[in-house]
Amino acid sequence: MSKLVQHTSLVPRLIVCLDVAYGCVVKGTNFKQLKDMGDPIELGLKYQSQGADELVFLDIKASVDGQNSALAMINKVAKNLSIPFTVGGGIKNLEDVDKFFNAGADKVTINSAALQNPNLINQTANKYGSQSLIVAVDVNLEANNSLILYTHGGSKKVSKNYDTWMQEIIDRGAGEVMINAMHKDGTGSGFDLDLLSRQYYSIPIIASGGANEPKDFLNAINAGADAVLAAGIFHRNEYTVDEVKHYLIQNKIEMRTL
Amino acid sequence: MKIGIIDLNSGNLLSVISSIENLGHEAIVLKKPQSNFDALVMPGQGRFAFVASQLDQNNWREFIISWVTSGKKFIGICVGMQLLFDGSVEDTGAKGLGILAGTVQKLKHDKTPMVGWAKLSSTDKKLNDQFVYFVNSYAIIESNYCSATVNYGTSFCAAIQKDNIVAFQFHPEKSGEFGQELLQQCLN
Repeated sequence: MSKLVQHTSLVPRLIVCLDVAYGCVVKGTNFKQLKDMGDPIELGLKYQSQGADELVFLDIKASVDGQNSALAMINKVAKNLSIPFTVGGGIKNLEDVDKFFNAGADKVTINSAALQNPNLINQTANKYGSQSLIVAVDVNLEANNSLILYTHGGSKKVSKNYDTWMQEIIDRGAGEVMINAMHKDGTGSGFDLDLLSRQYYSIPIIASGGANEPKDFLNAINAGADAVLAAGIFHRNEYTVDEVKHYLIQNKIEMRTL
Repeated sequence: MKIGIIDLNSGNLLSVISSIENLGHEAIVLKKPQSNFDALVMPGQGRFAFVASQLDQNNWREFIISWVTSGKKFIGICVGMQLLFDGSVEDTGAKGLGILAGTVQKLKHDKTPMVGWAKLSSTDKKLNDQFVYFVNSYAIIESNYCSATVNYGTSFCAAIQKDNIVAFQFHPEKSGEFGQELLQQCLN
């Protein structure tokens, strides 16, 4: 990995992901069994006050069921939170993207739709700017050690090559890419450091899937992640956001504090 | 306070509106120039040329220049800050308001846009060492009126203060509790 050291005042971001299904925040293990974890707005405000740098609301049933995420929820979040938030799940085309932005989202994240219709990346970036778009990549390390891309909440395999797809996402104008290691999600075995340090990318990289303890965040940032995203570790009240940040600061990573 | 928010058709204004309302002010979205406000806020997102072209609609240009020269409060945010200057290398054919001297430059960093939180450097104690949220690929590098700077490849102006004009390259409406305090200070 070749990484240029450049002057920056930017600090790594800690992002809390709230998986939403039927208006409630849920958490699944390996994308499957869902547990109810509470009200999205209430939880969003809680994480904001703990020092979360950003929030992501993912309507995880929308992509599977073909439903749109609750636009009313996005609107309420926009009115109540004072930190940036991203919304995703079930976005199929530019009309869906328009709806999410009109409801008040700061950014959208697309996954299945980007693979099915890569031009949606260009369309969204052209209309709202690159900074408004996070392309999420669900990738699984298969038993035979190959990296396979998935869509639809981890239920459908895609034949496209992982590295080719990462480059295409950047070339088409995405502002950030979220690497979600499915084989790590919900397992609590840490982020996939090999994936994070695989290459130097020219857009910010968000590490997702596998956070179990503060050390996992430290390893992901040291491996090259610009932002780290986690859900269960916070929803289960194992750690607060400020506890994780405090640990990172003690380990010489500059983080935003309140 | 009664705050007018200039609608230049560039991005959602909900966050700015909510932020101002949550501070206890009245926020009114303006499609056309109107004078009966205590302060004007000009948010802006997206391409410089597009937002600048919106200034040519409804005589915004003349209105904003006379508002600012009359000494009334004016707050620019993101591209709304950039528009106060002469122009931008993003779209060299497009004209800014030219209220402040300078041309907006591309950030010299290999990861753009700049996305995230950065700590301000300032001689103003209220601004210094505070974290604020940035989303931009372009910025004003130097100005006599820089009130705070940050680094991204190079040092640039994060905030501007000149008499009745305040402007931010970052998003105070997305910068948590500090962003709210900052907006409140500017509006009061």
